Amino acid sequence: MKESLISVQKAVNELMFDEIKGLVFACLDEGIPPLEIIEAGISKGLELVGEQFETGTYFLADLVMAGEVVKEAMPILEEKMDPGAAGQKGKIVLATVEGDIHEIGKNIVGMLLNVNGYEVIDLGVDVSAGKILAAVKETGARLIGLSALLSTMIGGIKEVVDSVVEAGLKDHVKVVIGGACTSEQLKEEMGADGYGETAVQAVKIFDKLSAT
Amino acid sequence: MHPTERIIRTLEGKPVDRVPTFCPLVEDRTFNEVLGQPLIPPHKAIDNPITRFFMDTWGPRLTKPILQPILNIGMEKRIKAQQLLGFDAAWSMYEETFIIRDSKTMVRFSGSVYDIIDDGFGNSSYMYRGPGITSREEFEAWPYWPVSDEIAHRGYKFFQKMMKKYGGKMCLCGQASAYGIQESLLWALGFERMPIWFMKEKDLVQRYIDMAEELCMKTIMAMMDAGVIVILQSDDFAFKSGPMMNPKLIDRLFGASYKRIIKAVHDRGGKLIFHSCGDNTLLFDIFIKWGVDGLHAYENTSNVDIFKEKEIHGDQVTIIGGVGIDYLLTDRSKDEEIVDEVKKLIKNLGPGGRFMIGPIHSMSSIPADKLRVMLDAIKKYGKYPISV
Ligand code: B12
Repeated sequence: MKESLISVQKAVNELMFDEIKGLVFACLDEGIPPLEIIEAGISKGLELVGEQFETGTYFLADLVMAGEVVKEAMPILEEKMDPGAAGQKGKIVLATVEGDIHEIGKNIVGMLLNVNGYEVIDLGVDVSAGKILAAVKETGARLIGLSALLSTMIGGIKEVVDSVVEAGLKDHVKVVIGGACTSEQLKEEMGADGYGETAVQAVKIFDKLSAT
Repeated sequence: MHPTERIIRTLEGKPVDRVPTFCPLVEDRTFNEVLGQPLIPPHKAIDNPITRFFMDTWGPRLTKPILQPILNIGMEKRIKAQQLLGFDAAWSMYEETFIIRDSKTMVRFSGSVYDIIDDGFGNSSYMYRGPGITSREEFEAWPYWPVSDEIAHRGYKFFQKMMKKYGGKMCLCGQASAYGIQESLLWALGFERMPIWFMKEKDLVQRYIDMAEELCMKTIMAMMDAGVIVILQSDDFAFKSGPMMNPKLIDRLFGASYKRIIKAVHDRGGKLIFHSCGDNTLLFDIFIKWGVDGLHAYENTSNVDIFKEKEIHGDQVTIIGGVGIDYLLTDRSKDEEIVDEVKKLIKNLGPGGRFMIGPIHSMSSIPADKLRVMLDAIKKYGKYPISV
């Protein structure tokens, strides 16, 4: 791989906020196509960040920082790319369930999904099933991400799953859950399609579900 | 044995007559069930055109004459409810951090913004909306940071009264208008921006930490002047599967402040219980190094293993908490299930002492009756020597 791409990868992996822009410009100056910079440089760097998060050398704040580093680089690349190439992996409607205002986890998940190629429609916190379904219909998204931290509010997950079923969309739209009070078991109980313990896993699960 | 003696001996690792009980505050529903009266006026008292008009017109000027007396009554009633339930130790709070901005929002003096809402049971409550400080300019211009001596003095007055009324019957674990240094910073700047601040605005972050330390230190010393022996310091450092930040960074940024605070408490013969939500497994060594006497939460829905912690750190720090609020302390559980969990916790964590049992958090869905079931079971099975 070209030296300059490895530098971009390293900048993302090592959270080099101040250096990333210059390194991306250097790649572009060498004539490397933007999509290649994203895939071989940025995404690979993020993958390494994800691995370090899972092995415990990186923490949440580092994930956030990696996201900020990528956010510095993306506008430069998007400008040079075909419209439509960003968000190429599909649309995800993301929200924290009704009655729950915990947003940090949802925001990190949204940011990672975004930098990993999804178009994220973030509806915010304390969002009703009705609003989520309306957004799915309006945007044509086939993936829903639900964050739930309060065990008193898990009913919100069931309501979303039920409203997807009632709308006859069960075969097309997949619901993934995460947050402090969720688990693989809760996923089964609520009839959701996926569960992710961390933001890194969230990306993997959405990748898996969008491939099916 | 007097509850305060039971608590202090347990924090010191000395033998006691039974496993002590700890309550991490009670919320409106529980409180209303115990006292039979609403904690604060129903939300409709605030959410009507006349009140809204005054709140929008006078905003912050209503904080002192209207909001603060309501909060003071509420804080006292929470303490009273915990005492009537029969806990040995109660998280007791003096709350003067809020300022009314208008009919829909409040701010905390430490930099965060809140919506005024109905809690779903008809009580007025608040919901964190987001950071109040998003730039260096906003940091410099933030108008609400308090004079710490004044707040400490009012905290002193409050605890002097509370100690007189309730201190004879239980151990008040005091917190006075100073929240965790890290969590206040997190609420003020927003988690997503915090890493950038750490990198780009190191001087401001340090200034914030210094101001928060001063506030904690002064309010804690004032509570101790009023006779409070056990201090409750709360700072949420973790989430479900681990610390939010690198433990080394946590130690580097906040360690010096916490060490100074805890040393000051110890120098005056006090004890400090530290509360942190989530899975703090990677942080326990650090908290112990800072000097904490007890650690609260061991949140059952997180990945922390309270039983393993007993093996690893059980002789260095007092483990506090353990009883889940996600299911056990809700309307959905059966009494037998609570009793079984209490027995399991006591059997595994009781031997050797240094354990206090109680809910892992406060929550508006906790029924008073379920707390009573828990407390009865503790009194029945918690006597030393443990024979569950
Ligand atoms: C910070 C915090 C708050 C802040 C929230 C600030 C904000 N803007 O979000 C404030 C102070 C406002 C708050 C309020 C309350 N909180 Co709170 N809070 C927490 C705390 C300490 C951390 C949550 C957090 O942000 N973590 C960091 C993020 C990054 O982690 P995360 O959300 O888990 O997200 C990660 C994964 O779960 C996953 N993920 C998250 N969402 C999704 C979605 C998908 C689709 C996928 C795949 C993955 C995924 O990826 C993320 C990154 O890896 C937790 C403790 C804990 N164990 O989590 C308690 C906690 C969630 N809170 C709790 C409680 C009880 C409350 C209050 C009721 C307190 C009270 N008594 O008033 C209120 C409720 C307000 C409301 N109506 O929602 C309890 C819930 C208990 C329960 N079983 O229900 C917890 C577990 C604390 C405890 N010890 O019990 N809280």
